[in-house]
Amino acid sequence: MSTGQVRMRVPEKVKAGEVVTVRALITHPMEIMAFKDGKPVEKNYDFIHKVEATYNGKKVFEAVTSQAVSQNPFVSFQVKVDVPGVVRIQFFDTQGKTYEGQAEIKF
Amino acid sequence: MNNLRRTFLKLATGTGAVAAAAALGLSASGAALAQATGSGKPLPDENVADTMKRLFGNRPIQPAGNRVKFEAPMIAENGAVVPVRVEVELPMASDDYVRNIYIISDKNRRPLNAQFMLTPEAGKASVGTNIRLASTTDVRAIAETSKGALYAVTREVKVTVGGCGG
Repeated sequence: MSTGQVRMRVPEKVKAGEVVTVRALITHPMEIMAFKDGKPVEKNYDFIHKVEATYNGKKVFEAVTSQAVSQNPFVSFQVKVDVPGVVRIQFFDTQGKTYEGQAEIKF
Repeated sequence: MNNLRRTFLKLATGTGAVAAAAALGLSASGAALAQATGSGKPLPDENVADTMKRLFGNRPIQPAGNRVKFEAPMIAENGAVVPVRVEVELPMASDDYVRNIYIISDKNRRPLNAQFMLTPEAGKASVGTNIRLASTTDVRAIAETSKGALYAVTREVKVTVGGCGG
């Protein structure tokens, strides 16, 4: 499983004004702390630390995630959709990489 | 790499992220800011009392009652993947909405697992994720409204195999 694959799930067809659930998952190791002689190993751990989602360009969801979020982080959130459009999500990792995904909301 | 990605990377790693974080009301939470600026360096262990103080100061936190529905397993077979769902039965109006939802696990070395930031466009404050629990612990779901009200629900999750590598 390669890192950075984003998968999203939204309902098939929705009605105007509905509040829809958006589910997103990204493959990512979410590296956990390593210890040596009881002390944390000092390094730049690789994990997703921020998630941002927009609907038709407007911010609808953000998350600050820590190493205490599971490997292959999953997030779900809701969006009120008055018009059809696109949900875009971005996952930011601590190594400076950004991973993106999108899903269409159709009426 | 196209221009769109270049802009996003700049936002994630530069002062843009700090300004954005502050605008979203993260200024009370130093560690959240540090994480928002993208550092993967280890942060020191934190006692949950200090986490709560750092995030909320001396602000009153009310028991949520029916306002917050918090789903977490009673027993987590695998502490590395513990699904949690938080649904807040409060308005999402432009002048009164659920701005933040915090997930805090008392016995983790750094109790704040994740913080969710919402806008009125959400329609409903309902979030979910999978968290790591080091051991059996109380897990708190705390909702913060745009008016500054805080509501908390606490559930004990028993963990058979710890999920933080220990």
